[in-house]
Amino acid sequence: MKHDSNSLIDALVDELVPVRPLRRAEGGALVLAATVLTGLLVLAINGIAGNVLAGAVSPMFLLANGLLLLLGVAASASTIAMASPRVGNRHDGTGWALAMAAVFPAVTLALLAAHRADLPHLLDVAAGWHCLVEALLSSLVVAGALLLWLRRGAPVSPRTAGIHLGVAATALGTAVYGLSCPAETIYHLGIWHALPVLVGGLIGRIVVPQLLRW
Amino acid sequence: MMADEQTLSRLMAAAQAGDRQAYAVLLAEARRWLLRYLARKVPPAHLDDLVQEVLVSLHAKRASYDPGRPFLPWLAAIARYRWVDHLRRSYRRAEVELGESDAAHEGDADAVMARISLDRLFGSLPRAQARAIELVKIEGHSISEAAARCGQSEPSVKVNIHRGLKRLAALIEKAD
Repeated sequence: MKHDSNSLIDALVDELVPVRPLRRAEGGALVLAATVLTGLLVLAINGIAGNVLAGAVSPMFLLANGLLLLLGVAASASTIAMASPRVGNRHDGTGWALAMAAVFPAVTLALLAAHRADLPHLLDVAAGWHCLVEALLSSLVVAGALLLWLRRGAPVSPRTAGIHLGVAATALGTAVYGLSCPAETIYHLGIWHALPVLVGGLIGRIVVPQLLRW
Repeated sequence: MMADEQTLSRLMAAAQAGDRQAYAVLLAEARRWLLRYLARKVPPAHLDDLVQEVLVSLHAKRASYDPGRPFLPWLAAIARYRWVDHLRRSYRRAEVELGESDAAHEGDADAVMARISLDRLFGSLPRAQARAIELVKIEGHSISEAAARCGQSEPSVKVNIHRGLKRLAALIEKAD
């Protein structure tokens, strides 16, 4: 830099305009709005699943989507917090929520291993693949909202922020997409509704840091 | 005498609201604090540039400060981010003689300073990685000189620098 510090300070003072500080509650409201909008889009495009409409959902459905919602909320909270950095901030909550949610696919994998002979039928790749793609598409609005929030802020660990963003968006997107998915077996939910979160975390880790550098 | 944490927080909140007088005082205080904070962590010839980079980042990202929270841990996170970015760049040997700084140890006893200090961050690295970064990126030795000084092979020094910088980037908000 060519300036001396005093002239730099004078220039920065001259440029000063009021700014609205980032408030975490505002970030939470933004994510909530993005999730509701995603829900409206999913219902408008795919409709609501018959069992959900009839209020006859299985415990498996509630368990899987409840875990995804919890994970989505935890990861959204940490992503929002990362926009306002501070030495001493910790973002451990998402890791614990992820570990809890991972119990579900881990049990599913164990069950699949025990029923190897029936694997193609249990996995139902065609339906599962469809859910994977739809769930990822359903994550885009929340991902966009969180990206916007982070870019307004000053994330100091872009890679970690990217992972949290990817996990938050796909967990919430998949939970909302679940309203239109009629499949309720543990095999379907434990694999095909968990995979989007894994993919989201990976995409977030690879793609998002490039968009967050400052 | 440095302004205290409460005063700095109040000045920053006023600056966010557009108070130029408060902002001028805040930037001058922040500059003094940064000179101490970053002293001996970059070659003296680069210190003022780095402090200016942090001040520009403070200005660009001032909305990310939450007025309900302490100011210095926020400024320290911004400074650490810029410092790690700075370490990634190459230095020319001629510019990197480390000198003494009177301000370097001032305020070491301060608890907040200790918690957010760069030494604390640097201390999170494995010894070999910290030493390789210190020799090459801060003191400005060549890879072969650093290898001879710390008893590591040249490829090990390179790997330790690469891994150490990556690790530092992931630990910017770490306080313990």
